[in-house]
Amino acid sequence: MACKKFVHLLSLLPIVSPPFAVATAVITLFGRGGIISNQLLGQQWNVYGLGGLTLVLALSFFPVAYLNLLGMLRSLDPSLDEASQSLGANKWQVFRTVTLPMLIPGFAASFLLLFVEAIADLANPLVLGGDFTVLASRAYIAIIGEYNLGAGAAYSMVLLVPALLVFIVQRYWSNRQSAVSVTGKPAGAAKMNTSNAARIPVLALVAIVMALIITIYGTVILGGFVRILGVNNAFTLDNYRYLFQGIGSDAIITTTLLALIATPIAGILGMLIAWLVVVKLRRGAGVMDFLGMLGLAVPGTVLGIGYAIAYNTPFDAFGRRFIPALAGGGAIFAGAMAIVMVYIARSIPAGQRSGVAALQQIDPAIDEASTSLGASGLTTFRKVTIPLIRMALLSGLTYAFARSMTTISAIIFITTPRTRIMTSQILSEVEAGRFGNAFAYCTILIIIVLTVIGLLNLAMKGKGSSAAPTIPPAAA
Amino acid sequence: MTDLAAADQLLEDNSPASGRLSLVALTKQFGNGPDTVTAVDAVDLEIEPGEFITLLGPSGCGKTTTLRMIAGFEDPTGGEVVLDGRNMIDTPPNKRPMAMVFQSYALFPHLKVRDNVAYGLKLRKLPAAQLNEEVELGLKSMNIEQYANRAPNQLSGGQQQRVALARAMVMKPKVLLFDEPLSNLDAKLREQMRLEIRRLQRHLGITSVYVTHDQSEAMSMSDRIVVMNKGRVEQAAAPEVIYRQPATVFVADFIGRANFLDVTLLSHDDDGHATVEVLGQEVRVPAHPDAAGAADVVLLVRPESIRLVAVREGDEVAAGGHAGTVTTSVFFGDTVEYEVDTEHGTITAVVADPNVSDIHEEGAKVEVRFNEGRAWLLPREG
Ligand SMILES: Nc1ncnc2c1ncn2[C@@H]1O[C@H](COP(=O)(O)OP(=O)(O)OP(=O)(O)O)[C@@H](O)[C@H]1O
Ligand SMILES: [Mg+2]
Repeated sequence: MACKKFVHLLSLLPIVSPPFAVATAVITLFGRGGIISNQLLGQQWNVYGLGGLTLVLALSFFPVAYLNLLGMLRSLDPSLDEASQSLGANKWQVFRTVTLPMLIPGFAASFLLLFVEAIADLANPLVLGGDFTVLASRAYIAIIGEYNLGAGAAYSMVLLVPALLVFIVQRYWSNRQSAVSVTGKPAGAAKMNTSNAARIPVLALVAIVMALIITIYGTVILGGFVRILGVNNAFTLDNYRYLFQGIGSDAIITTTLLALIATPIAGILGMLIAWLVVVKLRRGAGVMDFLGMLGLAVPGTVLGIGYAIAYNTPFDAFGRRFIPALAGGGAIFAGAMAIVMVYIARSIPAGQRSGVAALQQIDPAIDEASTSLGASGLTTFRKVTIPLIRMALLSGLTYAFARSMTTISAIIFITTPRTRIMTSQILSEVEAGRFGNAFAYCTILIIIVLTVIGLLNLAMKGKGSSAAPTIPPAAA
Repeated sequence: MTDLAAADQLLEDNSPASGRLSLVALTKQFGNGPDTVTAVDAVDLEIEPGEFITLLGPSGCGKTTTLRMIAGFEDPTGGEVVLDGRNMIDTPPNKRPMAMVFQSYALFPHLKVRDNVAYGLKLRKLPAAQLNEEVELGLKSMNIEQYANRAPNQLSGGQQQRVALARAMVMKPKVLLFDEPLSNLDAKLREQMRLEIRRLQRHLGITSVYVTHDQSEAMSMSDRIVVMNKGRVEQAAAPEVIYRQPATVFVADFIGRANFLDVTLLSHDDDGHATVEVLGQEVRVPAHPDAAGAADVVLLVRPESIRLVAVREGDEVAAGGHAGTVTTSVFFGDTVEYEVDTEHGTITAVVADPNVSDIHEEGAKVEVRFNEGRAWLLPREG
């Protein structure tokens, strides 16, 4: 059991860490002079390019699929499993003919969602791409390197179309599949699969992935405390000293602060949209849900470029200034407002998803009971609905914070010299080859995210709710 | 309605002599250390081939756990499940020739009705032609052919129930297991379904174990009812025996309604009767064998065995009757129910097919009589 928990927590690490952590560690471990590839095995592997990118993206994104499937597996009615056994199916046949088909929508949803994330990923291609360029990095280079906003916008259009298409297909598909429902009171828990033929290969695979994760995050932590991991392994605190003096501490404070501002707004907006979608709106619920989920569908790169273009200049009309510039160096709050807006847009879907899922579980009769006892709609929401979806709100908040702290592709286009963001600082450290500093940044970022998540759990769990909060799947 | 001819055809080569199920000291404990719960406590039961057995009892008495141990979904802490002389304990659920019908129906939501019914046969790798034929018969016997191509969630609860039954039947099981299969249906449909299930089961002669906490369901369907309490079997007997000759106060109280009169045992006769004293009067009543040696006995009188006779002012209460005052009188149409205050405490009486002019008003003085032949003497402690 302890082992199960351990594997679960390890699987979530990539969600709470910045995208560079994995990529940078992989370079250190498997790159040209890599600790494992070169020093241990004497090999010359080329991690730059498609192969390395695939490995890193897989490691970074599998937790989302894992959480999706975990949620689905938990909500499967165990009596289906038993019905199948009672009709003569052995464990493998139960899995093949009942469990797997019921999970297919989950697989498909994860696949399509991660496709959107992967196609638009910027951080990993920048670090690991080598000669292999992707659309997102082209857009980045066009804007940051060549000051060509138009070209950047064009690239992001090319990016937006397939991402949106896939997203729409995924939604259409999962709506059609929503027929797969769960019924009945669970009578007893499903027994564990005990056949060794099935267990050993699966456990071996899990062990390999876990070993990889442990090595990678070990590298990140260790890397912050030595000069250049794998080259000069002398212990030093210089990396952290560099961080806490100078611009590093600035970035740490600003990023945490902005994420803390965005988190509750995103969480509450997400819940509100979920409530409107599930409970209040009859017509237009689909549109509302779709709009809320756009933060997932629109690639971060596109969102960032869009914000940079839209809010860089103030909005003037009839000789009066209606909206001042929100993004860029000359903007109000030194551009912080645009950053918070990006955080919110990117984080709403998490809260909305878990909110919708939680609300759909609630029997409408509970709502009606409250109404018939004289409560207004708002009172019912406050006194009945909110307590019932508290765990969903918690996981929404948790995910919103983690996502805000670790997002890069959207942020990179709108940070300004006066509002520094940790992820973009990490990128410049990596690009300058100062891996020690990058590792130190990553470690601190992970610690901040875990601390805030821990505090959130403490604050929200309070009274007697037993359900263990987990970070929700990004979408289902 | 079910199509018995089709069901017959489906099961034509099932041998009728098999399906003898024995539970031997079957025990299940959950948890360990101080938190141990004994859900099923050394249950012994012999079930004849073709018998319809109902497990009946209050919530939490271990019915579902017993059923799940028979099916193999729960590993017993001790004891045996023996089918036709073979101990099933080490046989996994999918290898047991039993089929279970679930309370939630547990239809596979990703499969059409036809594929749900065909599911088990496909696993048996039946040739396509035979498979189709048997699935058709299964659908036909439960009268659900017209829904064959629908998804389960496009069916009503009753229709889903029929699919679940068809899916179990096509497996030609030696034992059918039911866990409250009708509890999600409305009252009308429930009555109809229980008749259909009973008719089909009796016709096909498949040994059946049926869990319910609805006593009218148990009474109307079973060959034998097994009344359970706190994981133990209180009594296993035919419905009329359970009702008329309960072995314990618990059974008498749980099944139907009961008046318990305090009596003194005078003599226990060998012919299954005893002589007791009820408020100064000696009566001879049928008695449970255990009543002979019991420290304390009670007399069970069902409300419908009680007669009330109006008493006019000044009249004496005749011999064999007890004076009482009607405290409540409720007219149900087919019956009138009274509560009468007597020296025995409150007695409930039910009069069937009442003549409206004979109904006793609340507050009326009455004489309470009961049919001695219908009373039942039993020990107070189980
Ligand atoms: N998995 C379990 N772990 C611990 N205790 C259990 C478990 N399953 C059942 N029990 C306990 O065993 C006892 C019997 O449960 P069971 O489900 O067999 O009752 P039941 O007679 O079917 O009741 P109902 O009529 O409410 O369905 C109960 O006290 C229950 O709390
Ligand atoms: Mg039960």
